[in-house]
Amino acid sequence: MTMTVERFAQLAEIHGGDTARWPEACREEARASLVADPETLGPILAEAAHLDRLLDLAPAGAVNAALLGRLIAAAPQPVSSARRWIAGLGAALGLATAAFAGVAVGVAVGHDQPVASQAQVVIATDFTSDLSEALEEPAEL
Amino acid sequence: MAAEGSDPDEALLAGVGRGDPSSVRQLLDRRLPRVLALARRMLNDPGEAEDVAQETFLRAWKQARSWRPGGAKFDTWLHRVALNLCYDRLRRRREVATAEPPEQVDTGPAPDAGLLGADLSKRVETALAALPDRQREAIVLCHHQGLGNIEAAALMTISVEALESLLGRGRRALRASLADLREQGR
Repeated sequence: MTMTVERFAQLAEIHGGDTARWPEACREEARASLVADPETLGPILAEAAHLDRLLDLAPAGAVNAALLGRLIAAAPQPVSSARRWIAGLGAALGLATAAFAGVAVGVAVGHDQPVASQAQVVIATDFTSDLSEALEEPAEL
Repeated sequence: MAAEGSDPDEALLAGVGRGDPSSVRQLLDRRLPRVLALARRMLNDPGEAEDVAQETFLRAWKQARSWRPGGAKFDTWLHRVALNLCYDRLRRRREVATAEPPEQVDTGPAPDAGLLGADLSKRVETALAALPDRQREAIVLCHHQGLGNIEAAALMTISVEALESLLGRGRRALRASLADLREQGR
């Protein structure tokens, strides 16, 4: 199966002179068309390939050593075992400090609390006893 | 060999995240020239292109430790970041140009027809720079960066048909502006 000259020219205009870079769906058809009518389609492809070659001349820029050096220096650094140990120690100290502060606050607040009234003690006792009974009842299956 | 659809940079990126110097070097060898070329052709300015390439990789380093495999390919991500940075600079240029019109640059052929080497390269670079930004982007992504239509269209957040339209118009304009070089490239 071959494509029309207009369609071939349109594809060359869009995708250039190398049919390998054309969309996969039309590559085979384009190649078959070229084999069938090289006199007409060959010059179209050559014209597009000429522009491709000119485009390849657009400077790409070269990577210089200074840029490479800056990027290497800025890249993530390996975490050494010593740094990992220090980080772990820091975390442990932080946790210990937080725990100590919690206990200290608890003790200080506890000292400031008034003695519970007798009624509060009774309620608390009743609740505890209800809870104990509830826990002791076997669950029905 | 990487499986189809997998990211060929994934392992290197994981190495970068761990701070492995060899992975950093290999990733830069593989991707920095591409990013630099993209920025150079989009901006037509070596200094600005270098700034864009540097900023793109500094952002990549920040992403390396938290990079999630299975999402966008790293190369696509790099292109997106670099293109956004290029567009920021192109926008700033337009703002400056509006405030203060630049000198007119003659983009036509030189009086002596025989252009060689660097001159020829400069002519092509100037013609490319004279294209509307989106046409230039389409040509740089598809022709120079070698991206497929679907990938390039996705990066530009347009349809494949719109991309093909930009490519066609861009190439026609280039052919017209470089018509006097017809015999030299053959």
